[in-house]
Amino acid sequence: MIKCPFCQTTHVANTLFCSECGTYLLEDDRRGTDPLGTGEIGWVGTEEEGTEHLTKQGSGPLGVRLHIGESGREVEALLTKAIHLGRLDPASDVFPEIDLSEDGGLEKGVSRRHARILKREGTVVVEDLGSINGTFINGKRLAPYLPEALHDGDQLQLGKLLIEIELS
Amino acid sequence: MQVDKDYYNILGVPHTATEEEIRQAYRALARRYHPDANKEAGAHARFQEVQEAYEVLNNPAERQKYDHGREEQGRDKSSALSLRAIPSHKTLLAMPEEQAYYVLLNVTPAGDLPTSRLPLNLCLVLDRSTSMQGMRLQQVKEATRQIIDKLQTEDSLSLVVFSDRAEVLLPSQRNVDKAMAKSVASTIQPSGGTEMLQGLLIGLKEIERNRSETSVNHLILLTDGQTYGDEQGCVEQAEVAGRHQISLSTMGIGSDWNEDLLDQMAALSGGVSTYIDSPRKVVDVFKDTIRTLGTVVARELVMTVTTRSGVRLHEAFQITPHIRRLEMRGDKVVLGPLGTEQAKALLMEFRVQGRAVNEQSLMRITVEGDVPGQADRRSWEWVELTARISETPDPNADIPPPIVTALGKLAIFKMQEKAMRDLEAGEISAATQRLETMATRLLNLGETDLARAALLEAGRLARTGDLSPEGRKKIRYGTRALSILPKEIHHD
Repeated sequence: MIKCPFCQTTHVANTLFCSECGTYLLEDDRRGTDPLGTGEIGWVGTEEEGTEHLTKQGSGPLGVRLHIGESGREVEALLTKAIHLGRLDPASDVFPEIDLSEDGGLEKGVSRRHARILKREGTVVVEDLGSINGTFINGKRLAPYLPEALHDGDQLQLGKLLIEIELS
Repeated sequence: MQVDKDYYNILGVPHTATEEEIRQAYRALARRYHPDANKEAGAHARFQEVQEAYEVLNNPAERQKYDHGREEQGRDKSSALSLRAIPSHKTLLAMPEEQAYYVLLNVTPAGDLPTSRLPLNLCLVLDRSTSMQGMRLQQVKEATRQIIDKLQTEDSLSLVVFSDRAEVLLPSQRNVDKAMAKSVASTIQPSGGTEMLQGLLIGLKEIERNRSETSVNHLILLTDGQTYGDEQGCVEQAEVAGRHQISLSTMGIGSDWNEDLLDQMAALSGGVSTYIDSPRKVVDVFKDTIRTLGTVVARELVMTVTTRSGVRLHEAFQITPHIRRLEMRGDKVVLGPLGTEQAKALLMEFRVQGRAVNEQSLMRITVEGDVPGQADRRSWEWVELTARISETPDPNADIPPPIVTALGKLAIFKMQEKAMRDLEAGEISAATQRLETMATRLLNLGETDLARAALLEAGRLARTGDLSPEGRKKIRYGTRALSILPKEIHHD
């Protein structure tokens, strides 16, 4: 059995694409081709850093600690699955792992489904989920649904809410 | 092995026989001619012959060598079909659990086929309900006139229109008087509702009048509305049509029609359903359909997949001309007609389980079809896929790029299928998430238009709990067309 690094669904050995999320499942060192360009699209940072992170599956940071804006709240989460950031809204069936309502999320323009942080091929990435006010890394706005690498010490910004990233 | 001997004939089995069929034939013959049981003159020689034939045909590698030898000597007619199979692996790692194994199969007509075009037996069944008024009907009439201009003497054509009831405007006829037919097409007036079954029934009857042993029988059904209450009847008629070698092109114009119904009707008859999002495209869609029909060389292709023990077919898809799921009936599936310009590419996913062995046959895939341009009309071709199952991984095992590319597109198509299924089950947030993930994949593929449509619909779904009818069609017909390469889009 093998596991999709993106959504954790299990598949029989040799499966090439995840049936749930469409991720290409072949390990990097056996990859003959990369027609989808997953993993290479939209990376930021220098190239050396990128390749270093991409070498082994399952390596890289285990968790992430968020230092949230003015409230100064600190939240830690394991990167075994995608962590959604947003505002809790049971009426709309939105239950983010990290609820930013109490950090002034609404006033600062955080969407209910704003962004998610996950580990892909050993690299921690953040993906904007089509939020109204955007997601920024160190002041650079992300294209919606295009994951970008997140590094230790990065300033992540959801709308106007600032979050400092610590990878562990 | 002696290629000048017809081993198949000796055992009395067809070339397409499975190992099991060969074994059974051998056992029966061996019992009859065994020297201990049969003392007649010649029995012994016959027994040895049977023995020799069985030894070759029972061994996949030997059998393939023998078949190729026969073909090279021209002893077996060369098939009108050509198959090329690309397996994902040549070596599999031995493991107790099941593992995935993919085969990409290309089916094309063999190069030496006669190039003369088979006669078309065509019927247009056109919706003339009130909603067709204006641009839609105007473009449909124009498209019909252009089709009439493209007909050849031996082709036959009929025209049927339907609203609350159906009528034959032009009874099926060969050697159509083009000026007359075009003026008939120009008289179509919009009025009434949409009752599809009546139109379909009359259209099929018209096609029956001029069908022949060699004709390519086709019905084009165009509608812009929902038909109420007769859906089941339409599906049944489509299936009957398929059995009578009549394929249906079902075309929906605008956003108000039932894509599930049109899709099912096309699939059951081995045809294609098309979404026409703007009336301006009707002319191109009609012309393209006729052009494709003009290249048909093999009618009603059927594929049979015979797996060895420890191997099973998990699922099968057609990748080109467009992506669709193949519904297997037992070990067979109807692939529809084959044209010279539209090779069929099929992708099958298998499950393999087995201990370490040297080269071993995993399966045999046979494709047969009716090729009217050839003296002996039934034509077939097969491929045998073998693999080694090893204790150690093969360091040079690269997955062939065509398989990866095809699977990547297929993955998006399957996500769309799942999103629609989630939606049907009322799982709104699951469906929304799938559409969003799908959009990401589409962006990575450079399919920005389709990605935007998927995102838009994901947003709408999250807000309103449903998709827009246009969005639904755009996503469905867009994902199935992902496999179309730019070169396959024709203009003339």
